[in-house]
Amino acid sequence: MDWLLDNAFVQDIITLARPATFNLYFALISIPLGFPFAMLLALGKNSGNRLISWLSRAYIYAFRGSPLFIQFFMFYSFALSLNRTLWKPMGIDDIVLHPLFLGPLVLVLNTSAYAAEIFYGALKTVPKGEIEAARAMGMSKWQEFWSVTWPNTIRLAWPAYTNEVVFLFHATVLVYFTLPVINEQKDLMNKAGELFEKDYNVFLHFSVAALYFIVISMMIFFVFGLVHKYLTRHLKKEETPKFRFNPKYMR
Amino acid sequence: MIDTIVNALVGLLGEDWRAGLEYITNGKHMAWYASFKFTLIAAVAGAFFAVIFGLLGAAAKQSKFAPLRWIGSFYVNIVRGVPDVLFFIFFPLAFEQTVEYFFSRARCTAEEIANNAGSWPPCDAAQWYLSGNDYLILACVSLGLVYGAFAANVIHGAMISVPKGQLEAAQAYGFTEKQVFWRFKVRQMWVYALPGLSNVWMLLLKATSLLSLLQIADIVLWADRLGAPNYLARAGLVHPDWRWKYYLALFIFYIIMAMISERVFRALQNRASRGMVTVN
Repeated sequence: MDWLLDNAFVQDIITLARPATFNLYFALISIPLGFPFAMLLALGKNSGNRLISWLSRAYIYAFRGSPLFIQFFMFYSFALSLNRTLWKPMGIDDIVLHPLFLGPLVLVLNTSAYAAEIFYGALKTVPKGEIEAARAMGMSKWQEFWSVTWPNTIRLAWPAYTNEVVFLFHATVLVYFTLPVINEQKDLMNKAGELFEKDYNVFLHFSVAALYFIVISMMIFFVFGLVHKYLTRHLKKEETPKFRFNPKYMR
Repeated sequence: MIDTIVNALVGLLGEDWRAGLEYITNGKHMAWYASFKFTLIAAVAGAFFAVIFGLLGAAAKQSKFAPLRWIGSFYVNIVRGVPDVLFFIFFPLAFEQTVEYFFSRARCTAEEIANNAGSWPPCDAAQWYLSGNDYLILACVSLGLVYGAFAANVIHGAMISVPKGQLEAAQAYGFTEKQVFWRFKVRQMWVYALPGLSNVWMLLLKATSLLSLLQIADIVLWADRLGAPNYLARAGLVHPDWRWKYYLALFIFYIIMAMISERVFRALQNRASRGMVTVN
């Protein structure tokens, strides 16, 4: 067993396990909070009210059109400048300026814009026939939304939303590049950078960090794939061709 | 030149604006404005490399030779499965160390290497000093490598959408396979690739904000310097923490860049799809 633990690669995997939880924390907080906000934004963009529609459009455009890196800096420095007048007197400066609070906050603002665009695209492609059927059945607006529009939107948006969630997970890297690192609260990139500065072994440490990202991304794809299967369980399955081993090394 | 502009603006806006205008045109601010060139160079050169790596990646992905296909798929999947920031930091470091490794093979003695085990570089002679411009080139290449993987995926998809009949017609006219690939597939695929490539360009444009991570004095670094609380013994507190104002300016700059790119890509798309039957 000792030879395994002495292996530099295995040691790196163990060292980076705790930092990985910080990336997971940021993603796990931001995804459930961003989802309803994104849905509201998508409905706002689709709304008949011109003011609401314009505001949602502007929000989505601004947050999709600018880098998350700048957004982090902007919100952090803005929060800092309000510190003396607002947070300090209220006694919440420790919480507001803490990366574990501010990080997810900015991530939620950012991811909801991207997800809203995806949901909006799906809202637009909800089959017209099903909505007409709902109206013909005499459903109220509310019933029509909950039993036809919303389930269809989620189902249509799910594959693209899965991608966005993986990108959000990747974006958690930026939190500690922009916000202060407190004590030992380091995420994967911080820790990999710290290990790199000790022995300059760039290939080992960054590869292990990359491995963590790839494995967790694959786990996200797997879980979201299961959800997609659940969402489309009533639909006719596409005929999946049987797998046969027929390698063509030279086509 | 700048003085005349300032004077003209003061004439237009009144005396109250003079101090503000003079403040935002002082030497440090001019350096900030000049640093926008790094961002624009990185965006354009990065996009150039991304298209090249994208074409190579797509060509590798549909090669007839299996190992080349594996390399293509490996490149596209690994780079896309890892955060761009990680690769953006990893690639220049890895490149530098690889070069230094060859330097050390040529310049260091065996004793020096043995003495310096566990640290890098093995001897001082092997150290490779990089200037700001070298870092900018490395940054452009790594932007190209990262977004080349995204572009490869888009281009691969676009190449598949080129109507088979056109390629068969070319073959029937006696073009060799290489000619069919470069003269027909690559020329015809742009229409299908443009929407995807515009998305990749948007991602790349936003990634140019990361240049400061590679020790380039870019717009973000200058914004941080200029906005930090400014205290002079002679004048007292010049201004408190103004960083959010500078970052807000950058926020707006990127949004405007996104708007311009959108327009340009729409025009390109219209031009590329001339004579084609399109929906909408």
